[in-house]
Amino acid sequence: MANSNLPRRIIKETQRLLSEPAPGISASPSEENMRYFNVMILGPSQSPYEGGVFKLELFLPEEYPMAAPKVRFLTKIYHPNIDKLGRICLDILKDKWSPALQIRTVLLSIQALLSAPNPDDPLSDNIAKHWKTNEAEAVETAKEWTRLYASGP
Amino acid sequence: MSAGNSGGSSVVVPRNFRLLEELERGEKGIGDGTVSYGMEDADDIYMRSWTGTIIGPHNSVHEGRIYQLKLFCDKDYPDKPPSVRFHSRINMTCVNHDTGVVESKKFSMLSNWQREYTMEHILTQLKKEMAAPQNRKLVQPPEGTFF
Repeated sequence: MANSNLPRRIIKETQRLLSEPAPGISASPSEENMRYFNVMILGPSQSPYEGGVFKLELFLPEEYPMAAPKVRFLTKIYHPNIDKLGRICLDILKDKWSPALQIRTVLLSIQALLSAPNPDDPLSDNIAKHWKTNEAEAVETAKEWTRLYASGP
Repeated sequence: MSAGNSGGSSVVVPRNFRLLEELERGEKGIGDGTVSYGMEDADDIYMRSWTGTIIGPHNSVHEGRIYQLKLFCDKDYPDKPPSVRFHSRINMTCVNHDTGVVESKKFSMLSNWQREYTMEHILTQLKKEMAAPQNRKLVQPPEGTFF
């Protein structure tokens, strides 16, 4: 049975995510694998992603919480710190990870990244260049992608 | 479903994260570079289509030849093996002569698939197979021809 030895910390975090979800974020574990979460993040207001519903997937590796969760977007998104495969460039998912952080903090940080794209630390070079040379136009593209890809249920 | 793990670990890496690991490993380059692989369609969020390359092993008719393969990882990968076929023409006992498909009946890594196996394992095993006695002297089609 895949879930028999689930660490207490993961159980606690999961319970709290379900009972007190953060605003604009939902995360629920998959039935077959309690380390694998289906995540939805609503595009923050005042951001180009406003009105969008973004689907992500999150996995807690064996080393968690000594290693960061693995997260990626499944919904296509135009953002300088997110690549074509939905991989996210965010320091706390890499070298700034600390076991004091949680699934909740990670998802809140991703939500914040949608409000504050950082083209100086890009994962998608083309999108970052677009952002730096013509921010207004890049924001328009991001809004358009949100309408095209993130508006469905 | 994902049982069969020999160790005590109960952590199952889900399909997509497993393929991301394989992608990153493939991007770094493997061993001596005689097998390699990467995504065929960099836009496919589900990472289904892959291309592999094998450089034919020494002491065989395959030496120095570059073989291209296509691997397809469906939704049930890695619980189930990918489908594997040669794009470059090759004459080999486990490869269908008309289609280039690697036939699982004749290639035990596919018929006895285990969840821990990766595309790298498949390519490495196929390379070994090229140098096996039943394959290493077979007459080959011209280089640079395709199925």
